[in-house]
Amino acid sequence: MKKNEPLSESYYYILLCLAKGANHGYGIMQMTEALSEGDVTIGSGTMYGATSNMMKKGWIREIMSDEPGFERRRLYQLTESGRDVLHQEIARLRRMLKNAQEV
Amino acid sequence: MGAQYKNSYKIYSAWNYEKEVEDLNKASEQGWQLVRGGCFHSRFVKNPGIQYRYQMDFRRIEDMGRYIETFREQGWEYINSTFNGWHYFRKLYDPTLPEEAYEIFTDRESLHDMSNRWARIALGIGIALALFAVLYCIKLIRQPNLPSLIQVLTFAIESIVLLRGWSIMRKPDSNRNRRGDSLFITVFFIVILLGASVSIVLSDLRPNLYTEQNSASIDQPIVDEQWLEFKIHYPDRYYLDVDIEASEPATIKVVDASGAVVYEVTETSFHKQDLPVKLSRGTYKLSLSCTSGFDVKCKVQ
Repeated sequence: MKKNEPLSESYYYILLCLAKGANHGYGIMQMTEALSEGDVTIGSGTMYGATSNMMKKGWIREIMSDEPGFERRRLYQLTESGRDVLHQEIARLRRMLKNAQEV
Repeated sequence: MGAQYKNSYKIYSAWNYEKEVEDLNKASEQGWQLVRGGCFHSRFVKNPGIQYRYQMDFRRIEDMGRYIETFREQGWEYINSTFNGWHYFRKLYDPTLPEEAYEIFTDRESLHDMSNRWARIALGIGIALALFAVLYCIKLIRQPNLPSLIQVLTFAIESIVLLRGWSIMRKPDSNRNRRGDSLFITVFFIVILLGASVSIVLSDLRPNLYTEQNSASIDQPIVDEQWLEFKIHYPDRYYLDVDIEASEPATIKVVDASGAVVYEVTETSFHKQDLPVKLSRGTYKLSLSCTSGFDVKCKVQ
């Protein structure tokens, strides 16, 4: 399998926020801010570009919410290949961190 | 009393779009709220009771619904899009929020993607215009005349402006917000309009004359002389295509209003194209004279 490029911070957090289940753009943004303690924010332009691009790559897909009260709300869901990409990235980050501790 | 409106015809270059956003924010502070943003014309409504912050995005949208929703989720209201792919958004200004709350690009990659999308298009059009400039230049060298010269200059200037825009936009964190670029881009549009219209008018004012005589089409074998009058509206080089095939020498002449001969050829066989003649403003006559067994054609451009 072709080695993936390191993910940008925004891409990484979007995939991470979808790991436990589908979410909408705003949910991803809030979760990212909470996880990173306000260090990482994802603006609307960045969010639209990143989600469009990752849908093209087949890492995420768009589904419609069937939750009562939130019908027809757009949600993003991780695909199998998106999950692979995320796992590879986490492994890469682990290795980098381990290397830092070794030196 | 109805709402009070104001129009703005200020033009911004793409690599200066941050200046446009800045001006929209300032206008909002002064009570003028953008109703419709455009490349050449923007419309504002007076509403001093409210303040917005603006943002612009450049992209081709595949899914407008998802696009607007992604912005709405973070408090951005979609205003409108221009024909060439700029989108305007506004967000209610809340002084307690940090400035970052009004950014739509929160990483370098997405900001560079945006300016690169514009840069790629500018490069494509810039190269196409440069090719046109070269093609028209070849035409100009072969047939020097005023309309072609204007076409070459127009294509060359437009291509230089776009390629300059490309080189600014493709560079990350380049020296955007250049002073005087507003004037620069206004000149760009004036050059397009003027260059195109002046060259069309000048081309249209050129004579497009064609006349032919051949012995087979005329009952009498002898034709004395035939005149054709034409007007020259501006001094320039004009071109003659001459074809003579006759048993006795035939003459083609261009004579000005005073009777002075500007061009003359008397031959039994003569075939030349694009013969340059310098003509000034005024009335000219093209004359064909031949006696027997002839076939004479002449074109003035």
